[in-house]
Order: sequence, then C-alpha cells, then structure tokens
Amino acid sequence: MSSEPIERRVSYLGDRLKSSRCGICGKEYFEVRDYCGDCGRKSFGKMESIDLFYEKGKLELCTLVTEPTNKFMKLENYVYGIVSFHGGKIRVPGRLTDQILKDGETVDFSSLEGREVVPRFRRRYSVGKSDVVPTISLAFTLADEYYPHQEYTVVQPSKEYDTPGIVGYGFYTSRFRIREGSLQRSVPFIDEDAVTAAVESGKLALIHSGVDSALVGKIYVGSESNPYAVKPIASKVAQVLKLGEEDGDIQGVDAVDMEFACKAATSMFKDAASLVNYPKSGIKYAMVIGADNSQAAPKGCPGGELDAFVGYGGSAFIFGKQDVLAEIEGWYSVTSDTPDFWRRDGEPFPMHGGRFTGDPAYFKHVRKAATKLMEKLNVQASDIDYFVTHQPNPQFPVKIANELGFKDEQYAASLQINKFGNTYSGCSPAGLASVLDIAKPEERILMVSYGSGAGSDAYLLRTTSQIADKRQRQKLSVKYQAENPFVEFVDYTTYRRLKLGM
Amino acid sequence: MQNRPAIVAVGRTKFGEHYGKEPEKLIEEAWLTASKECDLERRDLEACYLSDCFLPITNKLGLEEGFLSELTELHVPMEVTRSVSAALLTACHAIQAGAYNTVLVGGIEKMTDRWDKIRDDLMLLEDPWSYYAGGTPEANHELLLRAYINKYGITGENLDKLNVALAQVSVKNHANAAKNEYAHFRRKITVDHVLNARKAARKSLGLYDFAPISDGASALILTSEEHARKMTDKPIYVLDCSSATDYLNFTARDDLTHFTATKIAAKNAFKMAGVAPSDMQVVEVYDQSTVLEMVSLEDLGFCEPGTAWKSINESRPEEKSYYEINGRRVFVNANGGLKADGNPLGATGGAQIFEIFKQLRGEAGERQIDLGQETPRYGCTSELEGFGTKAYVTIFGRE
Repeated sequence: MSSEPIERRVSYLGDRLKSSRCGICGKEYFEVRDYCGDCGRKSFGKMESIDLFYEKGKLELCTLVTEPTNKFMKLENYVYGIVSFHGGKIRVPGRLTDQILKDGETVDFSSLEGREVVPRFRRRYSVGKSDVVPTISLAFTLADEYYPHQEYTVVQPSKEYDTPGIVGYGFYTSRFRIREGSLQRSVPFIDEDAVTAAVESGKLALIHSGVDSALVGKIYVGSESNPYAVKPIASKVAQVLKLGEEDGDIQGVDAVDMEFACKAATSMFKDAASLVNYPKSGIKYAMVIGADNSQAAPKGCPGGELDAFVGYGGSAFIFGKQDVLAEIEGWYSVTSDTPDFWRRDGEPFPMHGGRFTGDPAYFKHVRKAATKLMEKLNVQASDIDYFVTHQPNPQFPVKIANELGFKDEQYAASLQINKFGNTYSGCSPAGLASVLDIAKPEERILMVSYGSGAGSDAYLLRTTSQIADKRQRQKLSVKYQAENPFVEFVDYTTYRRLKLGM
Repeated sequence: MQNRPAIVAVGRTKFGEHYGKEPEKLIEEAWLTASKECDLERRDLEACYLSDCFLPITNKLGLEEGFLSELTELHVPMEVTRSVSAALLTACHAIQAGAYNTVLVGGIEKMTDRWDKIRDDLMLLEDPWSYYAGGTPEANHELLLRAYINKYGITGENLDKLNVALAQVSVKNHANAAKNEYAHFRRKITVDHVLNARKAARKSLGLYDFAPISDGASALILTSEEHARKMTDKPIYVLDCSSATDYLNFTARDDLTHFTATKIAAKNAFKMAGVAPSDMQVVEVYDQSTVLEMVSLEDLGFCEPGTAWKSINESRPEEKSYYEINGRRVFVNANGGLKADGNPLGATGGAQIFEIFKQLRGEAGERQIDLGQETPRYGCTSELEGFGTKAYVTIFGRE
C-alpha cells in the first residue's frame, strides 16, 4: 500500500526502494512491513529492513506506454513493466528510463524481457511549479548498457594518514550528448536534474571509496541549478545515500547547500578536509558534491551565448584521513566583488558580462590563486604533474595554463569541456576526477577553480599508493562515460526539451 | 440460498457521454424505469444500496446518500459501495436476514465529466506504486497478456490464433452491442479493425481491445422471494453472490496470469448456488479488455487455464455470437460487454445484471440468445473492482 500525500512527503521509501524480509521464513516484501503475512503474529518485531538501492533486478515483462497518464506525458513513449529482485522474491512495477523512442519506433519486448536492470534515482513525474519535486527509484536502465550495476561494499580502512585528503570520488553524467562542431556536451534525460546528478555522483563516490556511509558526518552540495530556491539538495543526498548514523527516518549528519557560481563545491574541499582533521569533530568523513544541470537561455535569446557550452553532471569527493588517495598539501583562495555572470532570483536563466568575463574576471582570479599557492608552497609549474582549472569554454583553460607555464601534457588530461560541456559547480571537480582516474602514486596536481562573482580556490594535491588500489572499484570512470558506446546524440530541439525537464 | 432474494425489475440509462446531465438525473431515469416496470411506489422502498466509484472525484459529490434521499424523498437507510455487485451482495444479505422486504439497488458513474484526468485517477486508485512507476490502466492488461503467453508457451501459429481470438472477442461484443439500444457503441467492427489498431499502438493490445470510459446509471428492485410473487410472475432469483479480494499491487501477486479473487469468488458462488459452470447459458464477464474476457472464462471455470483462446478462436464468435465450450453454447456478454455496452464503473454491474434478467425472462428482444425453443434458466455475472483487487461472482436463476 501507499498513499500519495504520505509518499510525497516520505519519499525516501521509494527513493531507496525500502523493503522488508521476514526474519523467520525469509519471505520478502516491497515496502516496509511490520509483520509477515505467512508467519503472522509471531513475526512482529522479527522483520528485517532491506532496500533495493544498490541491487540489480531483472525485467520480467514489459510493454510500451504510448499514452501516458498526465503526469508522465513529457516522457512521451516509454517501456513499462515488472522488475523482479532476489530471484523473484520481490516484484515491483517500473519504467525503463534513458530511452528516447522515435515516433512510430517499435520495441521488441522479448529482447528486453529477462535482461538485468539497475534501479535509478530519478524525478518521479511532472508536478506544478510550486509543488514538491517527487523522486523515486522505480526507473530502471539496462545493466549491460551505459550504466553497469556496481555493488557497494564497505572496505575496512588499512592506513591512517597524517594529512587529510580525498579517499574516494565519483563523476556522473547522463548518456545523452549534443554535438556541435568539435564540442560535445552532456544533456540530462528528462527525469534528471541537479538533485539526481548529486545523488548519482555521491553513490559512485561511496562505491569507489568503500567508506561506510554511516561514517560520513557532513555533506556539502554546491549547485546553481537546484530546482528549489529554498530546500537543500544536501538533505536529499543525505537521506537517499543514508549518510551518517541512521536512526529510523532521520540521519545523524550535517547537510548544507552552497552557492558560489562554479566554485560552490571546490570552496568546501578545505572545509571538509579541515573538519575531518579536527580531533573533536568526531567526523571521520565529509562529502562534497558539485552538481548542475547548467542553465543557459536558448540560443538567440539574451544570455543565449552560454548555450553553446553548458553541460550536465555531478562530481562527488569524500574527504578523510584513512586510506587517502590524494593528500591536500595546501590551498589558497581569492575573492573580489566582480559581477561577470549572475542570475537574479526567480529568473530561469543566467546573464553574463560578455568580454568582461575574461581578463577582469576568470583570468585575474585563477592567475592570482594559482601563483599565490605556488609561492606559498614554493613549487614551480615544472614540479607539478597535472594542472586542472575551471573550463567555461575550450579556450580559457588552455590560455591560463600556458600563461602559468604549464605544458600540454600537464593540462590536456583535465580538459573535459569538449566532452561534457561546462558542468558549472561540477566542472573543475570533473577535471580533477579525470586526472585522478589516470594519475600514478606520488604525483602532484594543482587544481584552481573559478566561480563568477568572483573567486578562485587553488589546491595542491599529492597522490598516494592508494590511488591505484582503489581504481578497479569504479567502472564508471570519466573516460568510460566520455567514450561509452551507448552515448546517444540528440538534436538541439530535443536537447532543450530534455534540459527543461519533466 | 435460504430465503432467496429476487429481482423483480431492472432499469438503466444508455451508457455513453451524457455531458449535459447531472448524475442524479441518470439514476432517476434508471430508478423510474425499474419502478414503473414492477409498479412500485417510492414509499415502498425500505432501503437503498447505491454504488459509485468516482463521484466524489469526478463530480465533487460526497454523501451520495443525501441526493438519493432528496430524489426519492425518503429517509430510509442508504449505503454506498463501489460496484453494483457489491451493493447487490449487501442488499441480498439484508433481505435474507429479514431486515427488509423491498430495496433499491443502483449504480451511477459520470466519468466523462473528468475525461482529461480520469486515467490518472483510475491508475492511482487501482495501484499507487504502478502509477508512480509510470503505469497506465492499459499497461497491466498488456503485461498480463505477456505473462499468459509466456506461461503457456504460446508461440508461432498459436500466438497468431490467440491474437485473432482476442480480436474476435471485440468483434462479437460490438456486434452484440449493435442490437442493444442502451449501448455506448452500436457500430459493428471487423477483426482487421482490431488488428490495425494494435499495429498503430505498436503493442499487443490496441484501441479496440479496451472498454471505454462512460457515463450511465442502472437500477434494480430486489425483494424477498415471498414478496416477489406479489409483484411479478417472473422473478429472477439471486442464487448466490460471492466476493474475494487480492493485493492492490498487481506486480506483487503470486499469479500474474489470472485473478485469484475471481477464482475464489466463482468457486464459492457455484458451491453455494448448487449449480456448476456447465449449467450457465448466459454469462456477463468483466471485459475491461479483450484479455480479461478470455481470462475470465478460465477463472470462472468454463475453460481450463491456458485454453480459452482456443475455444474462442474455434467458436468463430464474430459470426455466431456465442462460444462453443465442450460442445455447449455459452453466450458471453450478450449486451456487448464493457467493451461496447460501455463501462461506467459504478453502474456497470447493473447493466450486466440487467442483461441476465432480460435474457432469463426471454425479454431481450433482438439480443435474446438462441437456445432453440428454450429460454435460458441460469446465468451469472462477474465483476471486478480495480485490476482484480476485488471480484464478485453472482449467479442468477429463474423458476
């Protein structure tokens, strides 16, 4: 049973696909049950709470929906069916997501039935502009396509480091792209947004780190495209990913949203690292996520110049002192009141200052933060293996990298703008993720973010031997998502429709 | 059944689109027809059992008892259920208990008043989780059909036959409705119409496989056996009403190919009535889709599980209007079924009973089933609420 108003407020039931198992006979139920129908009264208090969030299901039966109910109309056509878990012990209804069916396209149901599927955390359906945005994980994708099933295994840490640093990370973007000239950009599917990208990247970071989600004591989410003006993304992430100690329906974690254009997330790296290093905080791990469905007015409208570069995605980093894969050697941040890019409250799209976004804004701040940090730590460009910076377009990062004395081989690996577009809060973190994906132990990485408004955070990181050990745990690397054969390219009209969402 | 309840009169409106009529006008019409038929005065009613599924949602009408009280100018006990079969079951129990001698059982629905949102309502009320996952009222029928095909290993030529059999169901029902002045659709169709609609929909069921949404009302007068003889020479007895229930969530049920609730209700009803499925000559089943007519034949015990499609296909119902099952004629959905007679949920069961009543009395006119010289003696109805969440099986007989 379920009741719409309750399920809207207590949406984590559907987000996690909470289920129950009878401690006596092992019978499983989708949803929370206090007793087993077969065992009756004696099963009271003996039901175990389980959920299907990290599980893999099987598509048992399916059909095509060509005339959805009103709330699903924006999905147009989709495959809908029955998914089973645990060898058929639990069956749930579900739709296949991340599929664009062309007008008149036929679907061979028997080619889909029997295939393995992964539950995906998505927007549930369309609602009014003032309503709560409901989410659910009864959307599925095929496990042998873009998004493989990955188990989440908690790994006991083996080593304590003196310096805090990154212990795991995840980068997520959708399988849809738009290609214009040499530039490819990520496009969310219609049921995705900044919230779902934040949850996806956080999930991947947990899988990669092997950190027990209950030990994550703080979650920061940086975004400028939160569907809400008031209501944090971080609380959703905390609840769905069960961050902090779980006590009934409440999580023992501090969650907060940050906003500083494209540096909202990187700004918190130092805070997260400091927090886990403070002996009395009692916090072992802190998670920082930058996620955006990067906003831009349509081409041809004021501010529409941005629509040539914006992408979609999220990057999550877990900071701690155990099993660190990249230690933070130091940082330097700069800030000035520079109105180069802004979005007024209530407006759907941001505006920018044209050429003013260059020298007096991006270059000035990135240059200052980078040189100050290098001076402070007494390092030269030649001492650094990888340089990562914010990528609002393909030219800016190359220009500043060269100016700072970095060579192509030092910064090329970080350039993701050509593959995913500018993912705003997730942008320089995505660059960092792509470098961590390939870096060897004992290499140094300089990352300098940039956020309009304006400011930069520069970090110097040094990788450890852990980086190689942990790499095998993550199938969904940056490169995997960039070069995936299941990437689907859409035209500009479809791109705008998908970006606008349900 | 002890102290057999008897139906002495029935009435109904045309099913279809009644944009200009208030819900109470529809039930008024049905009630007046029924009361006129048995010469009953409103003050002779001792209780009313009304059913509607969606009036609080479609017409923002709660406390339907109140407007029925105004309509009849009565202050007698009145209760509201979700289907006429449920209302009849409750009414039968009251008559059998000796609480009343004469009651009104009616049903009413105005779905077109909310045509733009009714599919969302139907799905959400049928099963919330399926609704959240993107399900539609049609999708579960298609999934049930796929489960059926898989379970019974129907492939190749047999699969083609099954698909044609389901089309034949629709063609037969449309042909029957053409003779029914109250039916929603009175247009004959062909097997090709059904098959082409499926092709257009790109799936196993199409437009002509599903019942429409309709407006309409139905009513009947139920009395005790003793009382009935004073009112009519030809009462139709309710031999038994049985009901059973199942989970809301179709996907979580053990059986995805049949309705457990119907099977249980049918078993109990035939046992209590002391008759067998093979005694039934005219049957009204709940064909929300052509698949449900096929599956109902199995759930009610007319055909073995997994075989109804063969019986349908070999009966050539598109020409003959009946099924030949084990060498016996079974007339199913003589009024056109939900498919063509229409499906105003809360009133639908009343139309099914209306048909059985007329057929058993030999008063169905052009639709009267052909048993040679004989008038049918036994008939039954099966009605569902939700997608098999509740099932009612009611068995009728004459003297």
